[in-house]
Amino acid sequence: MYFLIWCRNRDSRAELFFAVTAASTTAIAFSELWIMRAQTAADFVAPLRWAQLSLFFMFVSITWFVRIYLNAGRPWLAWTITGLRTVYLLLTFVAGLNVNYQTVAPPRQIQFLGESISVLGGVPNPLMAFGQFGVLLILVFTVDASVTAWRRGDRRKAVTVGGSVDFFILAGLATVSVVIWGNVQAPIVISHCYLGLVLVMGYEMSRDVLRASQLVHDLQASEAGLRESEARMNLAVEAGDFGIWIWDLARNEIWASDSWRALFGIAPGEPLTVDGVMRRVHPEDRDTLRQTQASAIAGGNAGRYDTEYRVLLPDGTIRWIGSRARVETDASGNASRIRGASREVTARKQAEQETLRLRQEIAHAGRVSMMGQLASGLAHEINQPLASILRNAEAAELFLQDPSPDLDEIRAILADIRADDERAGHVIERMRGLLKRQTLDARCLDVGSLVGDVAALVRVDAAARQVKLDLEVPGGLPLVRGDRVHLQQVLLNLVLNGMDALNGGTREQRRVSMTARLNGAQTIEIAVGDAGPGIPADMLARVFDPFVTTKPHGMGMGLAISRTIVEAHGGRIWAENKAGGGAAFRFTLPIAEEAVAS
Amino acid sequence: MTGIQPTVHIVDDDAPFLAATSRLLRASGFAVKAFASAGDFLAQRNEDLPGCVLADVQMPGMNGLELQTALARSSNPLPILFLTGHGDIPSTVRAMRDGAEDFLEKRAPKEQLLAAIERAMARDVREREVLARQRELRARFDALTKRELEVLGHVVRGKLNKQIAGDLGIHERTVKLHRAAITTKLHVQSVAELTRLTDEAGVCATSTSN
Repeated sequence: MYFLIWCRNRDSRAELFFAVTAASTTAIAFSELWIMRAQTAADFVAPLRWAQLSLFFMFVSITWFVRIYLNAGRPWLAWTITGLRTVYLLLTFVAGLNVNYQTVAPPRQIQFLGESISVLGGVPNPLMAFGQFGVLLILVFTVDASVTAWRRGDRRKAVTVGGSVDFFILAGLATVSVVIWGNVQAPIVISHCYLGLVLVMGYEMSRDVLRASQLVHDLQASEAGLRESEARMNLAVEAGDFGIWIWDLARNEIWASDSWRALFGIAPGEPLTVDGVMRRVHPEDRDTLRQTQASAIAGGNAGRYDTEYRVLLPDGTIRWIGSRARVETDASGNASRIRGASREVTARKQAEQETLRLRQEIAHAGRVSMMGQLASGLAHEINQPLASILRNAEAAELFLQDPSPDLDEIRAILADIRADDERAGHVIERMRGLLKRQTLDARCLDVGSLVGDVAALVRVDAAARQVKLDLEVPGGLPLVRGDRVHLQQVLLNLVLNGMDALNGGTREQRRVSMTARLNGAQTIEIAVGDAGPGIPADMLARVFDPFVTTKPHGMGMGLAISRTIVEAHGGRIWAENKAGGGAAFRFTLPIAEEAVAS
Repeated sequence: MTGIQPTVHIVDDDAPFLAATSRLLRASGFAVKAFASAGDFLAQRNEDLPGCVLADVQMPGMNGLELQTALARSSNPLPILFLTGHGDIPSTVRAMRDGAEDFLEKRAPKEQLLAAIERAMARDVREREVLARQRELRARFDALTKRELEVLGHVVRGKLNKQIAGDLGIHERTVKLHRAAITTKLHVQSVAELTRLTDEAGVCATSTSN
């Protein structure tokens, strides 16, 4: 059976050696029987010879069984034993020597266990000591291997295999020694010793077979568990509407689940390429997505990213995708692949945009209401001096109708009119003060980050209104000095105005640009341009005046406030119509003195 | 002349406007008295002075509408005109319902303002005449004795002397004497005139059948 195991699995060499040992033991037993049946001295020679052959196989196989099964023992010793037994065997067969006896006496019949059997006798051959030395070497080898296995922790194996091999070999050796050297009148029966050895070895091997069957069972159970967890995983993926994908960076190949393909409108069988997938991503989101991926591949944010972008399906529908991914690295730490899960977030995105729009409407309504109150207060406060002026003027007219008018009275009236005019002026002053009541918190600012902040603020709004934002801020611009929040308000106001101006228009026209450049040695010029209809020529000079607006529902305060802020920063703001159409609002900010000095 | 001349009482917390308006109205020939608040006006005004009130609606302390209420309860309720920076419908409605002469914007044309003041003045003269007549009549009726009032009550209901005497339990001749006294005291000649006068004076000369 173990031989069959070896046949099936050539790596199971322990099984092979065990099978050989068992077969040899059987052969020895037959030889012994043969000897017992011998009638003449010559009859002993053949069985003794064949017994030597069996012994050769048995000793060699036991040695290598121990070596392999315990995975211990010195190989040179095993080879020495093998060599010794080979020489011994050669002596027996090739040289035709009887290694056991120099001369063999005729068989003697003795009674043994109620049977009449033949026993050997004769002059022992000194060469036999050579063979027995080999057997002793096996003992030493086995003890050494057992000690190694014991130390390694395989204590049970060391004791059962090592112990039984030593015990039974010693027993066999003793039997042979006593019978042959001592010329004792007894049959040489060693096969039972080896049978015991085979039994112990068989017992040990059967444990392995049992364990193997146990392992097979465990493996089946764990496979079932694996299938179960895979099924659960699939369930979770499907329940979350996730599409799974793996991008092999080295080979630039993408694998994706069918549900992911469905998200991108790609049929299950269709070949998938990185470029093909990128072409599905909305053109306006491609760069951002590439940058996000590149940054994660470079190790940013621990190689993870969580992003949202649009997919443009062939039929023109736009789908928002939420994607989470993780970059995996190979042994040398290089990014090897990205694993990710994506799902559709269009509904949430639309809800978000709706909320944003409502919030903006509320904010705008709040601003309008605030401005309305302000305007109403302004109207009332200015009405008072105007009414006084009117009454005084009317009174003066009446006085002047008199043939000899009271000039003192008229002078008093004129003085009052002047005072009321000043009063109206103060109201307007106070109003201006109200608009810029917050004090400036001037710090050194980077124009690039200022523009970036505003772009981030309006990005969603711009996407909702299908306006593309173009930013052009060269690196290395000197810092400016200003109040971040106030300047953000100016830029935000100009960008929102620009987007408002783009009602209608083609995709190419729906762009608002924010640019910054050095303007001389002292100032930086920031410009916001749009591709709208531009500003009517007669309005160009007045657009920054309060309550002047080109919008149907505008308050006409945004640009007035912007001018107040820019001028408070020591800058200048102006509007112009671009040569290619559209309006541009430009303002300057002085470069921070620290930056100029350096 | 100063004592009884119809006067425009201007009430406004805004001093320059108060001065300018006073100046205009004086130049237009009105006697003017200026007050910086409703409280000042109520405390300082001459109760006998005819004329009208020109008041701002929005004033700190007592506002124009509260002034209107207080004025109506006084013995000399002058007609009131309101001025406002910007009129709001609820206060306009309330002011007009409570008998305001007019509701004008502060920057209303001069002609509109003067015409409104003229109307208020005329209304004051009218109301003042009615009031004076009522007072005079009241003084005449006040001269009647209790018994004469009782008899008057029966007379205006068209009862005959004999019935009156029966009702009051007095002699018919005594009733005749009371009637003579009544016509003398009230300066009337006929029963018809007596009835009209009693009505006009608002005297409910009912003979309570006690």
